[in-house]
Amino acid sequence: MAEPIYTVASDSETTGEDRSAPIFPEIAVGIDIGTSQCSIAFWNGSQVELLKNTRNQKIMRSYVTFKDDTPSGGVINELSHEYDMLSGAAIFNMKRLIGRVDTDPVVHASKSLPFLVQTLDIGVRPFVAALVNNVWRSTTPEEVLAIFLVELKMMAEHQLKRPIRNVVLTIPVSFSRFQLTRVERACAMAGLQVRLMPEPTAVALLYAQQQQQQAVHENMGSGSEKIALIFNMGAGYCDVAVSATGGGVSQIKALAGSPIGGEDLLQNTMKYLLPNVESIFSHRGIDEIRRMGLLRVATQDAIHKLSFQSSVQIDVNLGNGSKLCKVLSREEFEMVNSEVFEKCKNLVNQCLHDARVGIDDLSDVVVVGGCSNIPKIRSLLMQKSKKKALYEGMNPLEAAVSGAALEGAVASGIADPFGSLDLLSIQATPLAIGIRADGNSFIPIIPKNTTMPARKELVFTTVKDNQSEALIVVYEGEETRAEENHLLGYFKIIGIPPAPKGLPEITICMDIDSSNMLRVLAGARLPGAHHPATPFMEVKMPTVDDGHGWCAEALHGKYGAAMDLVSLQKKS
Amino acid sequence: MRGYGLALSGTDSRCFVPAMPPIFSPRRASPSVGNSQVLFPKSTRNPSLCVRAKAAVVNEALVSDAVEISFYDLLGIPESGSMAEIKQAYKQMALKYHPDVSPPDRIEEYTRKFIKVQEAYETLSDPRMRALYDRDMLGGLHLAFSARRRGNNEEMEVKSGWKSLWQDQLSGLRRRSMNKDSGASMSWGARMRRQRDELNDDEDEV
Repeated sequence: MAEPIYTVASDSETTGEDRSAPIFPEIAVGIDIGTSQCSIAFWNGSQVELLKNTRNQKIMRSYVTFKDDTPSGGVINELSHEYDMLSGAAIFNMKRLIGRVDTDPVVHASKSLPFLVQTLDIGVRPFVAALVNNVWRSTTPEEVLAIFLVELKMMAEHQLKRPIRNVVLTIPVSFSRFQLTRVERACAMAGLQVRLMPEPTAVALLYAQQQQQQAVHENMGSGSEKIALIFNMGAGYCDVAVSATGGGVSQIKALAGSPIGGEDLLQNTMKYLLPNVESIFSHRGIDEIRRMGLLRVATQDAIHKLSFQSSVQIDVNLGNGSKLCKVLSREEFEMVNSEVFEKCKNLVNQCLHDARVGIDDLSDVVVVGGCSNIPKIRSLLMQKSKKKALYEGMNPLEAAVSGAALEGAVASGIADPFGSLDLLSIQATPLAIGIRADGNSFIPIIPKNTTMPARKELVFTTVKDNQSEALIVVYEGEETRAEENHLLGYFKIIGIPPAPKGLPEITICMDIDSSNMLRVLAGARLPGAHHPATPFMEVKMPTVDDGHGWCAEALHGKYGAAMDLVSLQKKS
Repeated sequence: MRGYGLALSGTDSRCFVPAMPPIFSPRRASPSVGNSQVLFPKSTRNPSLCVRAKAAVVNEALVSDAVEISFYDLLGIPESGSMAEIKQAYKQMALKYHPDVSPPDRIEEYTRKFIKVQEAYETLSDPRMRALYDRDMLGGLHLAFSARRRGNNEEMEVKSGWKSLWQDQLSGLRRRSMNKDSGASMSWGARMRRQRDELNDDEDEV
C-alpha cells in the first residue's frame, strides 16, 4: 500500500511535545470563510469549540490588506480604525469574486467596492488590485483567499499545537464546480487538503447532532424523522436546504442558493441614500475611495441598527463640503430591498417544492448567517412556514463552522464515547449536470438534488447521416438554454460507425464518486452490436481552465451543428 | 451463471436481470438470506422480525457481492413496512455503507451498495413508485423494475456484450480511482481514516 504523501505521526513526534499526551491522529478542523466574516472550529474531544484570535475574537473579518508590501489578513491584523479597511489597500468580499468572469453581474456589482475591480466584459477573469503606496497592485481572489487560509492555519496550529493539513471548508450552494476548483486551488496554495461542504448542509449536520443528543437525553431512541428548513444568509450568498434528520443522519433532500446577501442590501441602501453614488466614485481617486468607504461604514452601521430600532439617523461627512444627513426608517429599508427579499422567498419556495415537503411537515425552521437578525427575513420565514417561532438552538453566526468541524471529526473516523459523533451527512447535488443536445438545450444527466455518490446515464444519437463525430459539451446549472449554464468542459467522440441519422447509440454516463469527483464516460455503437465501435472516452470534469464561457461559443462558431447530438427517443 | 461479477457494478438494475431467477446461489450466507431469493417473499418473510435484526442478516448478503435481492430485503424491512420503517432502515444502512463512514479499504464496494440502497429507498419512499414496484414484484418482474422506470425497453440488451463491456469499463474506472490510494483522487474522508488506521497500527506495534 502506498504511503500517504504526509504523515501526522512523525510530525507530532518531531515537535517534541509532551510524550505522555496521547498522539492523536489529525482531526480536520472546520473553516467558514464568509464574504464578510470568518471563523474556525475544531472538535476538542467532547464538543465543537471555536478558536479565538489574539484579540479574543471568534468571528473575524474576511479581508487582506496589502499595506507596506507584506499582505496581512483579518485574523492577526489589527486595524487602527474601521476606515483603514476602506483605504483601497484592503481586498475583501473575495467570495463574491472567486471563479467568476468579468461578464458576471456579481462581478459588476463588486465594482463599487473600495478597491479595484476592473472588467473588460469578454468573459475572462476580472482584474483585481489593491492600492499600495498609490499604485494599483494586482492580485487574484485565489491569492487573497490563500493568504487568509494561511493565517487561519497558523493561528490554529499555534493554539492546538499540532499541524493542520485537513480542513472542511464551507461554500455557498450556488458555487459551480468550476468555482470549487478555484477554492481548491486556494487551499492547495495554503497547503491544505480540503473537503468542501455547502453551508446549509453543515448547519443541517449540527441540527442532526442536536436532535440526536436530545433524543438520547429524553431516552427516545433515535426518535422519528424531523424535517428542517435551513435558511442561511450572509453578506454574499443566500442558501436554503431542506433536510430529513433521524438517528444522527442528516439527509439533504433539496438545496437552493443564489448570490444575494447583505452586500446587496448595503449597495441598494447606499444607492437610495445617495442616488448618484456610482458617478461620484467612478474615477477611483484616493479621495473618492475614502468617501466611498465613509458612506459604506455609515450605511452598514445604519442597517445593523435597523434590526433593533424602527428608524436611524445617518450623519456622514463625505468631504468636499458634501454631507449626508438623513433619517432612514425600517420601512424604507425594506422597500428599497424588496427585490432581495422577494428572491429569498422564491428560494425557500423552490427548495420546499424540490424537496416535495409541505409546510405542515416542517419540524423546525433554522435561520442562520449574518442576515438572520433582519426582522424582514425572520418574519418572511415565519409567515412562509406558518410558525410562531424559529429554531433557537444554535448561534446563527457559529452554526456553519460548527457543522463543518463536526463533519471533520466524523470523516476523520473519531469515535465519541457518548455517541456525539455517530453522525452522517448525506449530500445532494446543488445543480444539475448534463450536456448540450437537442439543438441548444441543456439536457441534465444527473439532475439537481441527486444524492451523492451517484451515477446516471442517458443515450443520445446523431443528427446527420453518416455522422462520425460528436461533440460532448458538459454544463452545470438549471437553465434550459445550454449556454446560460456553467460550462465545465468538452470533448469529442470520434469513429461513430456510419449509419443513417438517429440510429447510432451514444451513451453518456456521469459518475460522482465519494470524493465528489465528476467523471464523464462516453461510448458509441450501433444497436445490436456487441462491441463498441471505438474505445470509450473517460473525462474528468471540469476541464475548462478559466470558466471561459466563450469556448462554447468558439466551438459553435467553428463547427455549427455538424457534431450535434439529440436525445434518443424511447421506443414505445 | 451469467454475469454475476457485474451484478453490483452500477445503479442500473437492468444489468442484474438474470436469464432465470437465481433460485440458488452457492455463496449464500444463511437460509434466512436464501428466503430473500424467492420471488414471492410475502409467504416466507416473517414481518415480526425487528428491523435492526433483519438488517443485520441482509448486510451479510449485501457484502457477499453475488446475491440479487428485492428492495425490501435490501433495506431489511417487511413488505408491509411503514414509511417510518423505510426511512429508519435507510438511515441505518447509510450509516453503514455511505463512503464517509465505511472502512477506507472498502469504499468502492460500499459506495456501490450505498447507491443501491439509495435506489431502493427512493423507490419505496415514493408511494406511487412503491405501488408500481410491488405490482411488478408480484408478477415476478421486480428485477426489471429499474428498466421499466427509466422507460427503456432494453431488458434484452442486457445480455449483449455491449452492456457488460460498458459495465466493465465503469467498474474498472471505479477501481482505478480508488486504487490511487495516496493520490488526490482518493476520497478525502477515506484518506483521513486510513491515516488514522495506520497510526493506530503503528501504536500497536510500539
